[in-house]
Amino acid sequence: MRLIIVLLAVALSFKAHAHHSSAMFDKDTIRQVTATVKEFQWTNPHIWIQILIENQNGELEEWSIEGGGTNTLFRRGWRPDSFKPGDVIEIKFNPMRDGSAAGGFVGAKLADGGTLGDW
Amino acid sequence: MPLPENCRRWTLLRVALGILCCSGTAAAADQNPPLPDWSGVWERYEGNGGMFDVSTTRPADGRAGSPGVRQFPPLTKAWEEKYRETLEIVAKGRLPDPISYCGTPAGFPRLLALPDVYEFIVRPEQTWIITENGPNVMRIYTDGRDHAPPAERWPTFTGDSVGYWEGDTLVFSTVSMVGEKHTILDRSGLTLSDQASIETRMFETDDGLLRAELVIEDPLALTEPWHVTRHFRRLPPGTRVYDYACNENNRNPITDAGQTLTLGPDGKPLDRSIERD
Repeated sequence: MRLIIVLLAVALSFKAHAHHSSAMFDKDTIRQVTATVKEFQWTNPHIWIQILIENQNGELEEWSIEGGGTNTLFRRGWRPDSFKPGDVIEIKFNPMRDGSAAGGFVGAKLADGGTLGDW
Repeated sequence: MPLPENCRRWTLLRVALGILCCSGTAAAADQNPPLPDWSGVWERYEGNGGMFDVSTTRPADGRAGSPGVRQFPPLTKAWEEKYRETLEIVAKGRLPDPISYCGTPAGFPRLLALPDVYEFIVRPEQTWIITENGPNVMRIYTDGRDHAPPAERWPTFTGDSVGYWEGDTLVFSTVSMVGEKHTILDRSGLTLSDQASIETRMFETDDGLLRAELVIEDPLALTEPWHVTRHFRRLPPGTRVYDYACNENNRNPITDAGQTLTLGPDGKPLDRSIERD
């Protein structure tokens, strides 16, 4: 599947309501991928979207995408079922600086065509 | 700081009016609203990722926790040195924010600069500031009492706050805050000492913002009073406030070296390199 790397000068969605330092994320880089949702953790202090991404060898890798807390996200239109297992989505995130399989949420285009975050 | 005698008399009158309103008819209460209406749900107005004193933040659009972003209070030489050392740690991404451990509240005055939402519960005898994030609960006594005597108080996260109403302005004094031992003011890592005291005036502005004007004194950290202003804006009617249980699913523990880790769904670190002391 496609893996697009976009360089931007500013940080986007994760910045707003992190309960911890976001130093581990490369906020100058945004990756956009097509992914399949494995699990959506609607929790505090952060929500997590577990996604499966196909790597260059055609294997599925699980990535952990971290977002803000439930409360402000809810007030911005997120819902506990915004991401459902099996949904095929487009998602943007700031990758980890050390290349780990995780990132800070930036935006997503959902299975039903709706969007969340910066899209 | 003891309450002035005229303020004490005014406070007692306010409390008496409040009791009358609560025990009388609703119509009577409507005719004699004793206190301003700060009901509903509010959020912080200033951005900058929670920088505490936005007016002296440089660069002006700098976000708390970003390398090179700081504020310029009138710091003593010793505190300026301490702040610079902390800023170096921030630049390395290794500042352990106390609230990231999910174990202690943000404390006052940082609780005026938090994300998520606020409630300001006004009663004649007491005002509560409740922050969704944390959560934090701050009690400001306005029933005419003074600060507890020194032998009967100790440093706490929100300190000891007493005050009075001056028209529609809540005026209160806060002492006995824990300071640098357990709190920071924002992720630039600035702290106060446990000797700090804060005089605060809160009122609603003509354009509907709730404004808090703080005058902070600290014989160890500051060379002169530090003036900081924070604002809050009201969210639409019907906005709900929710639980915030920080330890519900905290997948970002912090190592002894100050590194924030990222755990996978199995609870094991995803980080390829882990720094430890």
